[in-house]
Amino acid sequence: MNAQSVLATGGEEFKAPGPELFDFPPLFEGAPTWLTKPTVFAVFGALVVCAVFWSAFGNPKLVPRGMQNIGEMGYIFVRDQIGRPFLGKNTEQWMPVLMSLFFLIWMWNIFAVIPVIQFPIASHIAFPAVLAIAVYFIKVYLGIKNQGPVKYFTNLIPAGLPKPIYVLLVPIEYLSTFILAPFTHAVRLFANMFAGHMILAFFSLVGFWFIFEKPTALGFGVGIIGVIMTCLMTAFEMFIQFLQAFLFTMLAAMYIQSGLEAEH
Amino acid sequence: MNEQNRRPEDGQREFADAAWSAPSYLLSGMLIWGGLGWLLTKWTGWIGFTPIGLVIGIVLAIYLIYVKYGRDSV
Amino acid sequence: MGVLAEVSGNVTAIGYGLAAIGPGIGVGIIFGQGVNAIARQPELTGVIRTNMMLGFVLTEALALIGLVAPFLFQSI
Repeated sequence: MNAQSVLATGGEEFKAPGPELFDFPPLFEGAPTWLTKPTVFAVFGALVVCAVFWSAFGNPKLVPRGMQNIGEMGYIFVRDQIGRPFLGKNTEQWMPVLMSLFFLIWMWNIFAVIPVIQFPIASHIAFPAVLAIAVYFIKVYLGIKNQGPVKYFTNLIPAGLPKPIYVLLVPIEYLSTFILAPFTHAVRLFANMFAGHMILAFFSLVGFWFIFEKPTALGFGVGIIGVIMTCLMTAFEMFIQFLQAFLFTMLAAMYIQSGLEAEH
Repeated sequence: MNEQNRRPEDGQREFADAAWSAPSYLLSGMLIWGGLGWLLTKWTGWIGFTPIGLVIGIVLAIYLIYVKYGRDSV
Repeated sequence: MGVLAEVSGNVTAIGYGLAAIGPGIGVGIIFGQGVNAIARQPELTGVIRTNMMLGFVLTEALALIGLVAPFLFQSI
């Protein structure tokens, strides 16, 4: 969040930050319009994740030391908490996807609280949407490949109901599985990051405004509350960032499994 | 999946599956049947069709989730 | 009499915020008590899960009604 630039547009009264926090101009004069802060740091985050895991697993030893220890902790966490409960015996085969998803999203989310960057990449819905669409195509491809092009679509429908009920239920099932499931998958991550960034911007702006910009006797207490809430919310946001990366990867594992095997 | 090779964690997986897909089932039920009710409202001019469609959609979505996930794990 | 206080902007956002309080508390109670029940009687896990699911879906439906209600009232 950029307190100064928001303040510069305001007048004498306190103005809460709005969605304009998420609009960025091109990085420099004459740059193409897509070259903004979020896109640059999205690529940067991906490179950081690559570098971390290259240094961990580029030259693996039998007895892990240094970075390899940390990398293996991450691997074991993703395998035991996300992979095994959902994918079972197929876990090893899908670990590269799950590892990349989890650590890329976590890195993007952590950018929200790193000074200078201070922007969660996933709060632009394009980024989670691309990841969710990728998972969606994997799901449908696996389903058609493993269960057959017709069986995959009929397996979704519960068997043994009276015929007229199917007319009522089948549209709900297909709309839910093929359109709304990827949509909610992306929106969960996006909405949490968007709201979290907004909350942090609001409280830090309250603190900045009432203590530094327009200090008054009455407003000072409000400013102190704003600063305290900023600290608390930053800690809370760091937890939410981890949780959302975990949930996104967990849902990806769930969707991949639903393509690999029929549900019942 | 037949009953012989059911592992104990399958119940947990199905439960997580159901819990995470419940909102999208409810939303799609509301969208389809509420949307149909909205179209009827546009056609006939009686506002009552939209809420009736929404409620029917929710009831059907809850029934679908119950049929898919709740019925066989008891 | 003049206007004492005024709300500007989109009021439906406030409405949905209020509407989300109830389901939020409800979902918390359902899963909290459900986990509690499974911890007390692990042999009844299947039954408890089914009832948890049913309660969760019914509560979640309220939250989603709150989501579409603003659109409904705007069209009237």
